[in-house]
Amino acid sequence: MSEVQRRKYSQEEKTAIFDGEFMPHIDSMYNFAFRLTFDEDDAKDLVQDTYMKAFRFINSFEQGTNAKAWLFRILKNSFINEYRKKSKQPAKVDYQEVETFYNSDDVDYQSTTDLRAESVKDMLGDEISNALNALAVDFRTVIILADLEGFTYEEMAKILDIPIGTVRSRLHRARNLLKEKLKGYAQTMGYNTDEEEE
Amino acid sequence: MEDKELSSGERKLECSDVSRCFQLLESILDGEMGEESKDLLQEKLAKCQPCFEHYHLEQAIREVLKTKCTKQPCPEKLADSIRQMIHDSK
Repeated sequence: MSEVQRRKYSQEEKTAIFDGEFMPHIDSMYNFAFRLTFDEDDAKDLVQDTYMKAFRFINSFEQGTNAKAWLFRILKNSFINEYRKKSKQPAKVDYQEVETFYNSDDVDYQSTTDLRAESVKDMLGDEISNALNALAVDFRTVIILADLEGFTYEEMAKILDIPIGTVRSRLHRARNLLKEKLKGYAQTMGYNTDEEEE
Repeated sequence: MEDKELSSGERKLECSDVSRCFQLLESILDGEMGEESKDLLQEKLAKCQPCFEHYHLEQAIREVLKTKCTKQPCPEKLADSIRQMIHDSK
């Protein structure tokens, strides 16, 4: 993950790494980009930029290490530095505000909703997707990384440049917010919630 | 609760340390705890109703996110155009 230039690859080695280790992640990269930008063209540009940067800085990638996490980190930084600024849709929640509010690592782990596991299991993909997309970008990001892409806390800490404790608490908070959204769906759809328990 | 494993009558209805328990349960679900945490997990779920419910809800959330969340299909030509850009930049 470090930016230190470790070696100089030959052209053949560069191509081999690029095709063998970087390109296989393009579907995950595009999906992440789309969930950040909500726009097909922006997502394409973001993925293209990321791969161009990855190639330009390929000497700082150590062959055989976690290429997916390395690429995700570049994509996330490109998004923050470039796309977020020009994004048509202004960020709903101010990053700093979110941080001060929720980043104390001792999160309150109370049971926050009366949503039931059974109702969640009955929901459709679109409902889940919409609930996820409705979250502020920093919360959405940790859920995408953890649940859709299967990154570990440690990998997420490196991708996002935040401490592991912060990963854990932000993820917890993000899932609680998601549960609130899902609970809203559950009620409109007439799924069972605890409120109607005998 | 119509639970498969144990009837709720055998579990305590109040958790004495929700904060620590829930954090532990979530870490286990996220795959952050080792194998040895499995025994501890079974013990907790068997004894404590709030832990049991929280675990199953959190598990369901992760499961639907992983399996049902629609993936945006990557445009077919994207990979080709990236390869072309790399080729042109050499």
